[in-house]
Amino acid sequence: MSGLSLLLRAARAAFPAGARQIRTGGLRSAYAKELFLGKLEKEEVFPYPEISNEELEEINQFVGPVEKFFSEEVDSKKIDQDAKIPPETLKGLKNLGLFGMQIPEEYGGLGLSNTMYARLGEIISLDGSVAVTLAAHQAIGLKGILIAGTDEQKAKYLPKLASGEHIAAFCLTEPGSGSDAASIQTRATMSEDGKSFLLNGSKIWISNGGLADIFTVFARTEIVDKDGAKKDKITALIVERAFGGVTNGKPEDKLGIRGSNTCEVHFENTKVPVENVIGEIGGGFKVAMNILNSGRFSMGSASAGMIKKLIEMTAEYACTRKQFNKKLSDFGLIQEKFTLLAVKAYVMESMAYLTAGMMDRPGVPDCSIEAAMVKVFSSEGAWICVSEALQVLGGLGYMKDYPYERYLRDSRILLIFEGTNEILRMYIALTGMQYAGKILTGKIKEMKKGNVGVAMEIFVNKFRDSMGRKVDLGLIGENGVAHPSLEESSKKLEENIYYFGTTVEGLLRRFGKTIVDEQLVLKRVADVSINVYAMTAAISRASRSIGIGLRNHDHEVLLTNIFCTEAYFKNNYAMAELEKYAAENLDDSIKKVAQQVLEKRAYICSHPLERTF
Amino acid sequence: MNCVRKLLLARELSARRGILRQAALGRDLPWLQGSSCAQCFWPVPVRSIRSSTALSRSELVPSAREDKEKDRGSRDGFLVPFDELFERAHEGDRNKAAFSRAVELFCQRDIRRRGHVEFINAALRKMPEFGVERELDVYNKILDVFPKEVFVPRNYIQRMFNHYPRQQECGIHVLEQMENYGIMPNKQTKFLLLQIFGEKSHPVRKYQRLMYWFPKFKHVNPYPVPAALPRDPVDLARISLQRIAADLSAKVTVYQMPLTDISDAGKEITQPHIVGTQSPDQQELLACHNPARPVFVEGPFPLWLKKTCVYYYVLRGEPLPPEEKEEVIDSERNFYYPMHLDLDLDRDLWDDEEFYVDDVVEGPIFAMCMAGAGDQATLAKWILGLQQTNPILSQTPVVFHLTPGPRERELQAASDSESGEEEIPQSWHAKQEL
Repeated sequence: MSGLSLLLRAARAAFPAGARQIRTGGLRSAYAKELFLGKLEKEEVFPYPEISNEELEEINQFVGPVEKFFSEEVDSKKIDQDAKIPPETLKGLKNLGLFGMQIPEEYGGLGLSNTMYARLGEIISLDGSVAVTLAAHQAIGLKGILIAGTDEQKAKYLPKLASGEHIAAFCLTEPGSGSDAASIQTRATMSEDGKSFLLNGSKIWISNGGLADIFTVFARTEIVDKDGAKKDKITALIVERAFGGVTNGKPEDKLGIRGSNTCEVHFENTKVPVENVIGEIGGGFKVAMNILNSGRFSMGSASAGMIKKLIEMTAEYACTRKQFNKKLSDFGLIQEKFTLLAVKAYVMESMAYLTAGMMDRPGVPDCSIEAAMVKVFSSEGAWICVSEALQVLGGLGYMKDYPYERYLRDSRILLIFEGTNEILRMYIALTGMQYAGKILTGKIKEMKKGNVGVAMEIFVNKFRDSMGRKVDLGLIGENGVAHPSLEESSKKLEENIYYFGTTVEGLLRRFGKTIVDEQLVLKRVADVSINVYAMTAAISRASRSIGIGLRNHDHEVLLTNIFCTEAYFKNNYAMAELEKYAAENLDDSIKKVAQQVLEKRAYICSHPLERTF
Repeated sequence: MNCVRKLLLARELSARRGILRQAALGRDLPWLQGSSCAQCFWPVPVRSIRSSTALSRSELVPSAREDKEKDRGSRDGFLVPFDELFERAHEGDRNKAAFSRAVELFCQRDIRRRGHVEFINAALRKMPEFGVERELDVYNKILDVFPKEVFVPRNYIQRMFNHYPRQQECGIHVLEQMENYGIMPNKQTKFLLLQIFGEKSHPVRKYQRLMYWFPKFKHVNPYPVPAALPRDPVDLARISLQRIAADLSAKVTVYQMPLTDISDAGKEITQPHIVGTQSPDQQELLACHNPARPVFVEGPFPLWLKKTCVYYYVLRGEPLPPEEKEEVIDSERNFYYPMHLDLDLDRDLWDDEEFYVDDVVEGPIFAMCMAGAGDQATLAKWILGLQQTNPILSQTPVVFHLTPGPRERELQAASDSESGEEEIPQSWHAKQEL
């Protein structure tokens, strides 16, 4: 195995370092943000990002052995039952270099681009426990060192982390703190000589907590700010288990991803040298946000990989099992499920690789909204797909003898970790709103002041919209970037984007900065933007496929058209709701019901058999 | 059974009013043709019934005059015989059994149930005395005193006019008293009323109205007071505090149990109960309170639980000065999404659903308590107990703003107030109850 890995690394080194970069202009990525203004930045997403032939060849060289390893040497059933990944499996993963996929080669990693990382993620996701162990190690655990560490820190820690000799863990969550930085209790106190910190506190639900040797810990430190006042701020620290005082609880028993190690980690007077601060002292908040934002995009390809595998397994069953002298695959309701699986997998894949491609562009593209969109879409899609696949299998899917129920349990975590989908929806909507608000404030203020010119402009626009405006954002037609066979879908996308822009403007006019409290509104905004991004990704990818004549591109056109049509209607419904006031779109009633239930903390209806006389 | 009873009644009536029978014979109405049993078994009394009903109309005027006389009579002590009936019935206690005995006595005394309206009125008056004013079966028993079938109108003219108005009114009285005590009639009540007054009579209408509204009102109070309040002052305080606090997380603590003891010196020591409540939110508020500013113990404030009044005390702070009120959201608060937008736009008029209310700014309330005594020493013990869960309280000055509550006034009048509650004797009054 290690020989193979060496070979792979050698092959990897043969290619020039710059080759993996996709060279398409140095623009800051702002596709998703521009959507909130009703604009389609087609240069950002068209053409669909590609990798060079060399890179493709290179990644395929990785894919083969990894796939073989996962199909032959990873016993997912045993991992799930024993709630432990056997040491030999871990060793195999290390030998393949999978512990250092994104660590640059100079530190002994594979130095994969985001796109290539996503590609491997597809295969790794075939076992949820392994995928989570690897992700906790490199997507968040060592990411801090990678993106904000000093050269010394990198040189000191990355080589061992890349080889898998050391495993990393990310310690943010505490019993009293999920996403609230203010309630972090772990404290790092600077020693008198100013050379080290004493770390005290407990972290819970730490993936790899029991295996890890290197922890990225977020702790509260006292900072003296400019005007001399003392203030508590979050600092990110690299903590080695060898520093002493690090203990962990027993592994938690979980619903899914049972093989991954999740436990409490306690720090008791752990002495951490000042050199181990990631970023600057008191700058831990930014570090945490950057790590969290950068780790999400890979979930798209991982979910897609899992669904593709599921399609293979369930299709096999559906095409062989007979009922009433008919194969299951001949029933419309079963066919519908396979279409759903294919559409979701296609769109997820398109979004994931589009985002990865955007992130691989030179410069420092900020794709955090897109990554969050990918995470929300793919995690929910995965959950639905696994459940539908289970439905195809009927009772069989429910049995522990078969792997399907494990997929269901494993995929449930996707909606929860790395920021719950609810939180990410807030992030998507609020970040977009903030961007659009900055630009639109002037215009809206003018209108509110009673500037006749601006008001007339808005009125005329509204009037033209209501008369059935033809929206043309340049996807189709002369200089069009989408393939003409996707004209209908492209038109739908354009229309959605245009009206999304007007909806956002209307919302800003109505709620202004108080929109942060309108979570039901924000949820719809996020949903529309996610759908729009998904439509874009699908159209872009399908256009490319037709353009270069990939195999089965007509199938892709079908999938794209199905998805775009469905998403178009969902978007229109959501936007119609957004234009209404709270009393009309049920928001008031929804809140009222919740309030009444929560006041009593119970279901409050009388029993149907109850009587009053 | 029914027809036998009918026949007995018919006989009674015909006997009473036989003198006028001749005059009425010509105006028979075939009212009983549907009631086959009566007709085929006993043709002769049927006729007498006919005549009697007919007669009842002709008697309307004299009977009304008689009513007036009787009313006057009741004021002059005419009803004494019925009161005597109740006096006689309760040899031992005044209870339900005694009351039932009285009703039975009346029913047995006279098969014709003569004077039943007066008896029923007297019985209704006597009910609270016997403590049966909330007993449904007693009401049914009282209704059962009415002779059956006699007052049922038999033709459209009777139905049009107020048939046996005094009896109907009396029936309504019974139902009204039930209404005032919040007693919901049951199937038997309906059956009796139909038997006595017939469909669409005034008492039946009254019954229908009761049955329309009572179920609707039954659960109209979202914060129902238990039917029987606990006798123990500590339990009562617990219920009351839970009721005011209205927060499921709030914890009720008994700081001191009531105790009466005789010391060695032979002096009686009484230790009043202290029960307090505090929710986690209140605890947090108190923790954030600036210890330089005093907190106040105020009270007593009354709380009515049905007919019982209890008093509570609050620990509160002054309203915050406006400069401290504004909460600044740290931009580095949420790892995942921005908590506020940096925009210069406010909420539009149409989405502003907050309407103007005359806001009176009040200080935060940190805790509440009920105690067996309202003196400062007792309440200081409460504060002492609170300090264990709220350490900041030991650094904060506590000011007692106590007004002499009714209990203190009562104490001066040397009356017993150990129970911490006060029974207000309320004379029964219909409108007040509902």
